[in-house]
Amino acid sequence: MRVVIAEDLFLLRDGLTRLLHAHGFEVAAAVDNGDDLLAAVLADRPDVAIVDVRLPPTFTDEGLRAALAARREVPDLPVLVLSQYVEQLYARELLAGGSGGIGYLLKDRVLNGAEFADAVRRVAAGGTAMDPEVVARLLTSNSADGAVAGLSPREREVLSLMAEGRSNSAIAQQLVITERAVAKHTASIFLRLGLPPSDDDNRRVLAVIAYLGR
Amino acid sequence: MTLDAIEQQLEASPAAARALLAEAKQSSVRALSELRDLVRGIQPPVLADRGLVAAVRALALDSPLRVHVTAEVPGRPAVPVESAAYFAVSELLANVAKHAGPCEAWIDVRYSAGMLRAGVTDDGPGGADPARGSGLSGIERRLAAFDGLLAVSSPPGGPTVVNMEIPCALSSPKTFSC
Repeated sequence: MRVVIAEDLFLLRDGLTRLLHAHGFEVAAAVDNGDDLLAAVLADRPDVAIVDVRLPPTFTDEGLRAALAARREVPDLPVLVLSQYVEQLYARELLAGGSGGIGYLLKDRVLNGAEFADAVRRVAAGGTAMDPEVVARLLTSNSADGAVAGLSPREREVLSLMAEGRSNSAIAQQLVITERAVAKHTASIFLRLGLPPSDDDNRRVLAVIAYLGR
Repeated sequence: MTLDAIEQQLEASPAAARALLAEAKQSSVRALSELRDLVRGIQPPVLADRGLVAAVRALALDSPLRVHVTAEVPGRPAVPVESAAYFAVSELLANVAKHAGPCEAWIDVRYSAGMLRAGVTDDGPGGADPARGSGLSGIERRLAAFDGLLAVSSPPGGPTVVNMEIPCALSSPKTFSC
């Protein structure tokens, strides 16, 4: 799997490159600004781009804008955005297209190498990887809504993990329950939230995120 | 401290070193998350990145209430003014969520004729009184530092309307509106 990295700090760029190598990824290019990211994406056609939100010259949300621009040039290019902090506002901008292949994670998550590699693979495969902190905020802003409040604690747990972009089998593993139990919970969640059921993991995740972000 | 312990344990007991490493990882994640909260309390990232209007929209998204934002500020005020206005709106919105019970809120931010105006309205039960030690008098004092004013109207039965204005100039001709 081929990856392009855009990160302005040398140490982080180098660390990410090593980490991805160790997990079997090929790093096609590692650049330090948004313009070079666009050029690298067009030249190397990677399976996924990993982009830091803060890039020169403005050091504000340059990376986010570069990631969105790259997706306009290469439609459906999977993009994983890393940030020192996460904002619902930015998550919504990334997800606004309504298609998958989007990740938005805190930089700390890189510390857990195996889980981070899993998130990169998920995004590259057209799935999503939303930071638990974003998901928690989505749930808070939906707490006034009767439908989410009416879910059982277990269903809320399943809903959070689903919104993070995890598959049924991953949720089963994390909560130490059977896949069939997860399927039962998701069916009940979809019923209570009034969402059309679907067997496709990615499509289901997008439906949940769209529901929470409406 | 943990890192020192890991260094010592590395040869003698790799298993203990691994456990300590996990602990060090966890506490660094915790420290980062505390630091992030602290930064949010001083200078929220969206405010620094994109200015008042986007930061107010981000506030609205994070609020448990249904909040409607309308805004038109063609540029950015000086950082201290921007941040005073942001924290005032943030506190007003938190007040609504805390005291008004389940309700909707409307935020309007605009700039005209040298005056930045922001209003927070809710359809809660009303009865907010700046004289009775609520956070309102604190907001009023902080706005006064910029020659800003706060006006509260909150009859019993609602709605509560809080308006503020701060005289200031804007820089950069970029338009944020909707």
